[in-house]
Amino acid sequence: MFGAPTRTFSVNFALFLVALALFPVFVRDSYYLHVGILCMLFASFALSWHLVTGYGGLKTFGHQAFFGIGAYFSALVSIHFGISPWLLLLVAGIVAAILGLLIATPVLRIRSMPHVAIVTLSFAEIIRAVISNWRDVTRGELGLWGIRTFESFSLPLIGAVSFTSTDKVSFYYLMFLLFALVCFTVLAIMRSQYGLAIIAMRESENAADSLGVNVVKYKLFLFALSAFFVGVCGSFYAHYLLILTPSAVLHIEVIILVIAMTLVGGVGTFAGPIIGAFLLTILGEWLRGFGDYRMLIYGTMILLCVMFFPGGVAKLGSRLREFGGFSARVARR
Amino acid sequence: MLEVSGLNVKYGDAQVLWDMSIKVGAGEVVAVMGPNGSGKSTLLKAICGLVAIHSGQIKFEGKDISSMPAHNMTSIGMSLVLERRRLFPSMTVMENVMLGAYAKHARDKTKERLAWVEELFPIIRERRDQIASRMSGGEQQMVAIARGLMSGPRLLLMDEPFLGLSPKMVSAIVTLVQAINKRGIAVLFNEQNVQLSFGNAHRGYLLESGRVVLEGAGLEMLQNETVKRVYLGSH
Amino acid sequence: MPISLLFEQILNGIVLGSMYALMGGGLALIYGTMRILNFAHGEFFMLGGFFVFFLFAGAHITPFLAVPIAVLAAAAIAAGIQRSTLAILQRRDGWLFATIAATLGISIILQNVALLLWGERFQSVPYYIEGTLAVGDIRMAYQRLLILAVALCSLALVGLVLRYTRFGLAVRATAQDQEAAKVMGISTERINTATFAMGAGLAALAATMLAPLIAVNPWMGLPLLLKAFVVVVLGGLGSFKGAILGGILLGVIEAVGMSMTSAEWRDVISYSVLIAVIWLRPWGLFGVKER
Ligand SMILES: Nc1ncnc2c1ncn2[C@@H]1O[C@H](COP(=O)(O)OP(=O)(O)OP(=O)(O)O)[C@@H](O)[C@H]1O
Ligand SMILES: [Mg+2]
Repeated sequence: MFGAPTRTFSVNFALFLVALALFPVFVRDSYYLHVGILCMLFASFALSWHLVTGYGGLKTFGHQAFFGIGAYFSALVSIHFGISPWLLLLVAGIVAAILGLLIATPVLRIRSMPHVAIVTLSFAEIIRAVISNWRDVTRGELGLWGIRTFESFSLPLIGAVSFTSTDKVSFYYLMFLLFALVCFTVLAIMRSQYGLAIIAMRESENAADSLGVNVVKYKLFLFALSAFFVGVCGSFYAHYLLILTPSAVLHIEVIILVIAMTLVGGVGTFAGPIIGAFLLTILGEWLRGFGDYRMLIYGTMILLCVMFFPGGVAKLGSRLREFGGFSARVARR
Repeated sequence: MLEVSGLNVKYGDAQVLWDMSIKVGAGEVVAVMGPNGSGKSTLLKAICGLVAIHSGQIKFEGKDISSMPAHNMTSIGMSLVLERRRLFPSMTVMENVMLGAYAKHARDKTKERLAWVEELFPIIRERRDQIASRMSGGEQQMVAIARGLMSGPRLLLMDEPFLGLSPKMVSAIVTLVQAINKRGIAVLFNEQNVQLSFGNAHRGYLLESGRVVLEGAGLEMLQNETVKRVYLGSH
Repeated sequence: MPISLLFEQILNGIVLGSMYALMGGGLALIYGTMRILNFAHGEFFMLGGFFVFFLFAGAHITPFLAVPIAVLAAAAIAAGIQRSTLAILQRRDGWLFATIAATLGISIILQNVALLLWGERFQSVPYYIEGTLAVGDIRMAYQRLLILAVALCSLALVGLVLRYTRFGLAVRATAQDQEAAKVMGISTERINTATFAMGAGLAALAATMLAPLIAVNPWMGLPLLLKAFVVVVLGGLGSFKGAILGGILLGVIEAVGMSMTSAEWRDVISYSVLIAVIWLRPWGLFGVKER
């Protein structure tokens, strides 16, 4: 299953990454680059969420907490202590991961899916409430601004790499690297010993039980790793957009969007969350003019996918053999 | 009165019952015997409509009931006692028994039926307010059968009624089943033990991996060489 | 703080708690019977709010009629939705997550349909009765007392129906073992639909009662949904009685907590209580350990 990825998968995935890498060479319009950045940002978010939910079988509804924590932590520390966003990218991830461990511990003790959903969602709501109420520091819904962006540097062959709001190319490549990192980590995990244990967990809770205490450790590891990536995404978001509000990064709509992406793309596949994130982000931008209908369309897509396309686009694709090994379907859910 | 012919059942892609044909005549006690996973429960559930059938036909008293929903079974005169008793755990004994008479047609005759059932199973009167899950396995089986009788079935289906019971309890239930049968109620039951199944039935079927491999009168089945060799371990 | 003020706060907490109990009770009924965590519960609340706004504030129909009509209309919509989506999903494998995701989708759809149809303006509904009861230093608006009375009566009514009627027996049987219930001749599909409608109706009832105190708008359901989640975990998921106790308890905890901090920390208080309960008694404060 994971041990031997099909050749078509490897080829398709490599082509996809190359296309992403070459995109700014052909497209210079900063709006399109911005959309590309958002696509990769949400794809990373969805992949990380799916690591816990799709593979780990823990249906969490609170990952927006890690996104928001990553964003606010990074922004506030950069504002008040003048620490470089480059370092904060990593630190924010670690902070989110620690928080992830904190919430995963009680969550892993409970089996029932509804409890897990409620607890994780409530946890995220606590974070949201604290950040919006702590106005002296976060400015609440008024929005936090004055966030520092990434420092420029210069590379031997390429020359100066500067991060300004007019030049999105540097941000694009930074996000591309983060996205690739998430992709390769997820793939590596799925092909490691962990991967097999994770599949065992998903296939049967009892089979996982017989594997003993390790399963809990794996799940904790998965959860922390997933929180780490989402925290890094949040940090990037803060230093990219340079303004934060609790409703933009911590509202339940954030996780609903990620869930919609994953369901549309296809649960239980590697490609699913990526396809879904790209589709819905582009669709969302395309529908920007119809602001009022956007959430309605997301909601309808969630319902339609659950009712009629349980495998999402990825499965549809593999059925049509268009994506070939790209969808790398793991096993029946 | 019950006629199953050419029954095929699948769970997803996995076929569990293959071209199965079974009959129960009026007033008969019929045993279905087979090892774990041979499809005994699936057969009974398919008859009752709890699992969808893929192809084949099920007739009860001449009527085709292949696609009748499960909750209508009691009203046509059939009743199922599920495997492992399946009492409603946090209800009292009486509530459990009364649920047996839930079907519309059974409501008017609740009183007489209750009297009859209480006579067969005195434990129901003695323990009427006890919470079902706090009873012993044998006691629960009694209540489960009593509950199954409350709808006044002409055919009683029982899925492994002796499962996990002490020998004493088993013989008590055997006696009760005979008493029920004397009242003209046909019985179709599953059992993994050769003696218990074919020894207590007019006729029997032997299942293996979802197929009927042998059928005949109960005593004949007990004497059958294959049955003896494979299931009784004699040579 | 003067003791009478604290007492008044607690009383207010009980009033709000009775609303949490209505919301949580409905959610628990639905979860207990068909194991669906209903993310759309807040939207049935919202529908109740809008319906009573149109009927009472708009068409000036007496609350004695407006409230029941609003509740029944919301329940009917809920029944239709359950039939056309959740009932179908529950016949498939892996429905546990599918139904959660579906109710999430339904929630967003209802919210945004309401937004398109009725706009984003916050609408207010007048009090059903004016005036204030004063006993010593303690003052309490009649509207609040009415809320409490309606909530307690309707919860008691549902409790009695579940306990003593044939329908209630069938609901309990379905909740405990759907397959065995079918074998008894109970149409569990119909029971599921009826229970879902009943649960949604309780949510709508809460909105009709709260509407005069809060603004009616498309997003009014979300905060109450989150509170209902807390309530059902406190009470033991799926336990109707537990949800009622949990709701009132949560209302009181919030009121007392708020009088010690400030109003905006209310949500933090209740979610922290939830996390604490999950740590110490994951099966709920009043439930017994199972599963
Ligand atoms: N709901 C289900 N989904 C998928 N497969 C099932 C399901 N129920 C039963 N099976 C499979 O169908 C086969 C027959 O099962 P069934 O329960 O009918 O056997 P049985 O003879 O009653 O066994 P036992 O003696 O253990 O009760 C088994 O292989 C079982 O794994
Ligand atoms: Mg069986």
